[in-house]
Amino acid sequence: MTKFARLALAGLLAMAAGGIARADDAQKAKVGVLRLSSSAPVFIAQDKGYFREAGLDIELKFFDAAQPIAVATTSGDVDFGITAFTAGLYNLAGKGTLKVIGGMSREKAGYPLIGYFASNNAYAAGLKTPKDLAGKRIAVTQVGSSFHYSLGLLADKYGFKLADVKVLPLQSLSNAAAALKGETVDAALLPISTARSLVDSGGAKLLGWVGDETPWQLGAVFASPKTLTNKALVTKLLAALARADREYHDVILASVKDGKAEINDKTKPLLEIIAKYTNLPVEQVIGNCAYIDPDGKLDVKNVGNQISWLQEQGFVDKGFAADAIIAKEYVKAD
Amino acid sequence: MLERAPQQTLGDGSRPRPVTFRGAGFMPSGGRLSGWIALVLVIALWQFAGSAGWVNPLFLPAPSAIAVAIYKLAMSGALWQHVSASVVRIGSGWLLGTVAGVIVGFAIGLSTLARGVGITFISALFPIPKIALLPLLILWLGIGEEPKIATIALGVFFSTAISVYSGVDAVPRNLIRMAQSFNVPFHAIVRRVIWPGALPSILAGFRITASVALLLVVSAEMIGAQFGIGAFVLQAGNLMQTDQLLAGVVILSLFGLAVGKAINVLEAKLLHWR
Repeated sequence: MTKFARLALAGLLAMAAGGIARADDAQKAKVGVLRLSSSAPVFIAQDKGYFREAGLDIELKFFDAAQPIAVATTSGDVDFGITAFTAGLYNLAGKGTLKVIGGMSREKAGYPLIGYFASNNAYAAGLKTPKDLAGKRIAVTQVGSSFHYSLGLLADKYGFKLADVKVLPLQSLSNAAAALKGETVDAALLPISTARSLVDSGGAKLLGWVGDETPWQLGAVFASPKTLTNKALVTKLLAALARADREYHDVILASVKDGKAEINDKTKPLLEIIAKYTNLPVEQVIGNCAYIDPDGKLDVKNVGNQISWLQEQGFVDKGFAADAIIAKEYVKAD
Repeated sequence: MLERAPQQTLGDGSRPRPVTFRGAGFMPSGGRLSGWIALVLVIALWQFAGSAGWVNPLFLPAPSAIAVAIYKLAMSGALWQHVSASVVRIGSGWLLGTVAGVIVGFAIGLSTLARGVGITFISALFPIPKIALLPLLILWLGIGEEPKIATIALGVFFSTAISVYSGVDAVPRNLIRMAQSFNVPFHAIVRRVIWPGALPSILAGFRITASVALLLVVSAEMIGAQFGIGAFVLQAGNLMQTDQLLAGVVILSLFGLAVGKAINVLEAKLLHWR
């Protein structure tokens, strides 16, 4: 009987050890992303096997808006989220359900991402530069979105009050584009991917790019506190991402001229990977290459500014600052 | 086949057998208290789950947190702005949709031509989700009050038209024939026979369309609304302020209760002959 028990125990231990060994081989994790080129390094790391080489078995989960990624990370449906900062994300993070572990896309001069667009009538009536947006009717997707914050930064830069602008939340990009085309708003903040066809067909006029006016930290990598306890997993993921960040920066971003990446022997394979994951033709991918820091650094100071701006507007609950939502042991500050 | 209770046949068969009354049941009466007690119990359990820490307040805020959110909203004065903006939209949208729906419904119920054309169009257009039309509505009507009212009116119109013409169809034909045999003129038959005959199902339709209007106010206020209960719910959702989100939902369902009561009163007044 004892002999049998020992045997069974040994067997169990062996099985458990085997299980651990296999788990070590490839740690499984789910990453929530948008099908946008601002998540390009994630696609590169996945497609070129950088995650696998780091000992990770990553499953990408695709979402259609930034907010659900934050919610899914909180609820544990995905282990990591990679998307833009929103007021909703900060509200979740402020309650301690999320922590920022790294930087992703940025608004930076020379890399078009979000733009200010004027309707044809408003343009004809003298709305020619971003500075003229003071006092106009401007469509954004949602209150507290990246677009709303970009507008707030612009107001600070040119010294007009955001309260003087009539901000109209239309809930979706297609609604905002329709309002702009239908001349019912003077201007709208739209990502280049939505606005390109509108501008090309003569439905709206480009006033400028947010990156040129007010650079800021647009996106980040974040995780739930539960995921953060698994230090090995987080370190491996960030290392694989940093490798892809570096490659994306040195190959694609280095070739960007006039807001467009070059198509050559070096950039083509990477552009094709991005095209594959974003379901866009390569000709469109080259026009919206988001800037991403080569070392995956996060502009901590700007994150603090975003939080205090959103708190001032009443979109984010008061009582916490950037320190509370950033996992310092992982973040490389800028 | 229905099972019958075993019958005890008595030997002599002459004496009458006492039979218990079997006619009860199948008549649910509106209990005054049971509904409220159930509501209070559910809310108490919900509050208890929240205070005991069984559920994360982010995922399901406790009723007390929702009450605090409503109180804060009321104190800041924003509640009245939201409610009044929404009431105007719901009221005018519902009224427009209902008037158009009643007219079209009667036309379909009374004329052959209108029936052929009307039913085809209603069947074709009713199932279109109004939210899918939002970008088009913005192009046609801009982003002022018009597209918001139009969204609600469209939703109300189809349900009203359908309930009105089925109500007209359901008026007993022999009543109409009798009026005709007494040589009552057409307009009087419509007013005195068909209208009261169709009224019960028209009012039942109102009960549905009033709720439809409340449902649609959220999608209507997706179109650049700064105030309104729908806009408030959307904003709270966008900002992940779940207590405020549920506060907005509670206000909407209070609206629903109030409208239900109003229709009860209307039914008691208009249908007293039943």
